[in-house]
Amino acid sequence: MRISERKLSLFLKRHHLILVSFLLALYSLHLALTYQKDVPRGYIVRQTLSAIVTPLERLILGTSSTVTGAWSHYVFLIGLNDENAELKKQVESLRSENDRLKEDVALNLRLRELFNYREAVPWHSTAAGIVAYDGGLWARTVTINKGASDGMVKDLAVISPEGVMGRVIEPGASTSTVLLAIDVRSDIDVFVERTRIKGVAEGNGADGLALKYIMLDDDVRVGDRILTSGITGIFPKGLVVGEISKIEKSKDNFFKTIEVRPAMRLSTLEEVSVVTDTGFYSRD
Amino acid sequence: MIKEILAFIPIALVFMAFKSTLFSVIPLPDIPLLMVFYLAFRRPSVEGAAFAFVLGYMDDVLCGGIIGSTSFAYIVVFMLVHLAGQRLHFTTAFTRSGGAAIAVVLKGALVYAVVSSAGMHVRIFVDVLMQAILTGICAHKAIVLMSRLSARVVTSSFKGDIS
Repeated sequence: MRISERKLSLFLKRHHLILVSFLLALYSLHLALTYQKDVPRGYIVRQTLSAIVTPLERLILGTSSTVTGAWSHYVFLIGLNDENAELKKQVESLRSENDRLKEDVALNLRLRELFNYREAVPWHSTAAGIVAYDGGLWARTVTINKGASDGMVKDLAVISPEGVMGRVIEPGASTSTVLLAIDVRSDIDVFVERTRIKGVAEGNGADGLALKYIMLDDDVRVGDRILTSGITGIFPKGLVVGEISKIEKSKDNFFKTIEVRPAMRLSTLEEVSVVTDTGFYSRD
Repeated sequence: MIKEILAFIPIALVFMAFKSTLFSVIPLPDIPLLMVFYLAFRRPSVEGAAFAFVLGYMDDVLCGGIIGSTSFAYIVVFMLVHLAGQRLHFTTAFTRSGGAAIAVVLKGALVYAVVSSAGMHVRIFVDVLMQAILTGICAHKAIVLMSRLSARVVTSSFKGDIS
């Protein structure tokens, strides 16, 4: 072996680690700098590593999600049933209270409206609440929570801010029966607001009124308002009874057949005003 | 030496699996670099250099880096630690921690240089510093554990040869 070869061999032996490292570093650098140049390489190594590590990664993520799930679905939820039941109770209680408060607000609004109405009219009246409805085949009556002990007597007018409601027919000790204007037994002297033509509003027993004794040549139209005339002395003059909804020629060729839509809305009415004054006779 | 490396590979794989899943956004101590560091100053060999290359390659493949960048950095770190180990003895906790932290910074700088040379713009400085600190803190303990693992592997190998 020549001296130069021996020197080279010695050099390689002494620095083989550095040389190998240097070559590996150069190869790495080559890989890195040609990374974006679409050179297909390392596919087998990449796939092999992926095959080894992917199950491991899945295991880690699976364990992680199991632990997280156990924490959120079990450990974290301990005691949540009791809390849930307690919250449900609270929700029910609050809902009930909310309903009651809404009811109170609605009652307050209705009473305020009734109070304002009572203040505005020139006669005395007392407020009463409806405690029962009697919607028989033809009868249309309600029971109010004011009776003889409260000054209720027969034929007192019962009204609401919307208009005529009916009249007291049977005053009891603490409650009274009110005959509604739509009952077939009810008849109220009225006049047409626009033309002052007089007639009688009778209940038709079917939640409506019939305006009677209007001649064929009388000027009445659909939409005309019907007001109390005050002739019988039960109702004050000028209360709204209803509105003409239909006009037909009767078979006798003498009177018109007129249907009146009542002003009161029985389905939504809960409080009424009983006029305690009597003797409202019209001066007309 | 081969047995030591074979013992390190599963640990590195598990670490990279964690790094690429649960701790992808949380800085971790660079355990593969500590392996390279340990092999470079304790048992410098061609197998160690090849292992550094393989570790870097695995890191790039599994953690989505530019293939070759981390392996280049690990190889350079391996060489420099090997050269430094001829003058310095990484026997104390301080030298190991300091050496490992510097190695992480060096690795970060090398990867940054390679990635920049490849035409990409990256910001790794803060992460590198954080990782250097973490690796420095863990370095001594990790090297002690690797020494024990190496000792166990070598001892069992020796016993196997006797029998």
